[in-house]
This record gives sequence, C-alpha cells and structure tokens, in this order.
Amino acid sequence: MHIPDGYLSPTVVVATYAVALPLWFFGFKKLKETLNEETLPLIGALSAMSFIIMMLNIPIPGGTSGHAVGAVLIAILFNPWVAFIAISVVLLIQAVIFGDGGISTFAANSLAMGFVGAFVGYYVFRIFKKYKFAPYLAGWSGIVASSFLAALLLGIEPIFWNKNGTPLYFPFGLKETIPALVGAHMLFFGIAEAVFTGLAYGFIHKKKMEIE
Amino acid sequence: MKKRIYFILAALIVIIPLGLLSDSPAWGEWGKEYYKKILGYIPYGIAKAKGINAPMKDYSFGSLSDISGYYLSAIVGAVLIFAFFYILTKVLHAKNS
Repeated sequence: MHIPDGYLSPTVVVATYAVALPLWFFGFKKLKETLNEETLPLIGALSAMSFIIMMLNIPIPGGTSGHAVGAVLIAILFNPWVAFIAISVVLLIQAVIFGDGGISTFAANSLAMGFVGAFVGYYVFRIFKKYKFAPYLAGWSGIVASSFLAALLLGIEPIFWNKNGTPLYFPFGLKETIPALVGAHMLFFGIAEAVFTGLAYGFIHKKKMEIE
Repeated sequence: MKKRIYFILAALIVIIPLGLLSDSPAWGEWGKEYYKKILGYIPYGIAKAKGINAPMKDYSFGSLSDISGYYLSAIVGAVLIFAFFYILTKVLHAKNS
C-alpha cells in the first residue's frame, strides 16, 4: 500500500497534500497535548512497532505480498489523531531512509494508512467497545478502509490521466485495484492487523490503565 | 507497562528476517521492468520518477547480507522513530517549564 513516486498524477499529489496539510497541523497539536514523560515510552514504542510490523511481509497467493500497519492499535489506545501523526512519521522515515513509498505520494500514503485507517478503526472500536472482539474488528476494518482509499487513488489514474487511452501514471483501473488491494486486505492483511491489534490491545491495555 | 511493550517490540525485531521469506512485491509496487513486461511500455510518470536516493534503500545496507541489513534497518528505523517522539517530548517539556 506504499504508493511510490510516479504513480499518482500531479493533480492527485497536490490534492492529497492540500487535504493532508491541515490534518497534519491539527493532529500535531493533538499529539503535543497527549505526549508527555508518561506517555512517551508507549507512543514511541507503538510507533516503532508499526514500523517493524510493516517490515514483516506476508506472501499471499498470486505472487504478491503485504503487511499489517498498526495504526488502529495506536488509535484505540490513545486517539486517532496521535495514530495519524505516528503513522505519518513512520511513512516519512520509510520513504527518506529506506526508499519505501514516495515523497510526492507521502500525503496520499499518510491519508490512507494513517488517517483513514486510524479513524475507521477508532470508530468501529467505539461502536463495539462492549465486546471482546472490538479491537480485532477495529483492526480489520481500519486496514481494509486504508486499502480502499489507496485502491481509489490508484484506480482513478488511468480514467482521468491518459494520453489517447494510454495511461500516464498508474495504469490499472478501479476494476483491478479494488479486488487486488481491498480483496487482499479483507482476506489476508486485515486478519494480520486484526490479530496484531487484538492481541497487543489485550496485552497492553490493562497496564496502560494503571498509568492514567 | 514499559517492560511489556518493549518485550513485544524486541520479540518482533528478533523475528524480523521472516519478512524476507517472500521476495514477492506488494501489489502495485512493482519495478519499472514489470510494466515493460506486462504492458509493453512504462507509463510516462512511472518512467520519469527518479526514486529516492535513500541511504538504506530496500532495507539493505552496503555489502551486508540481506538478513543483517534487514536487522540493521529494523533497529535504525525503530531508533529514529523513537528519537522523534523523545526529542519532541523534551522540547515540549522545556517550553512548559
């Protein structure tokens, strides 16, 4: 889901930055309110953990692979704004240091894996809070929603940006991106995100309550 | 609390080479040659993209083996991310006191 440079048209690049900038600004403010000596170890470690689980590539049938993200866990343990900023920081380091993702696509990737994943996961969790399966379902829903935005941004490329029908940027349309990305996340990486979110939540939550 | 979370983090770092089991790329994150092979051409924007001159490109480093490079990447990434929040906390603390 790390969209590389060159895959999105300049229009989409500008549009995603225009949407992301105010959200980053507000999210950073929220992070500053949450971050202190007590929350630092947890927020720092959860963000580092997100980086690590994104390195754990899971091969799936069809010759591709993918990974969990970890945005939902931060969203339900703290709040979705903190998760959005944390994932954005992870994505920036992945792009600049490891060449994973892109600079022009940094906003798009942050919106998909960070913003949408964190907020969808957070609200699903709130709705089903009473039930034990809440963090699992939240993790699954969050990453599936993330993959949907990525599929949408990629899939509209050949529709709007082509030269006499030859795609200029990402060449496959929605009919291919939706099943390939959203389908794979529903069946495989969503399960990984669900298990990670559910287990880690159970492991961390009780202890976190003691410091609040 | 800290112990538990650091324990999970350390455990995940230990098993990080499992991420190398598959050399299949993620869907939609193929190299330029893939488009040449599948479509017969490389879309304009993708052909033009320079890529990032990253110091640890593809989670590898210099002549280190894949596994050592992956371990080093996991540690460097985790440390940098932690450092971001650590420095931010210190800056905020300095401002508030």
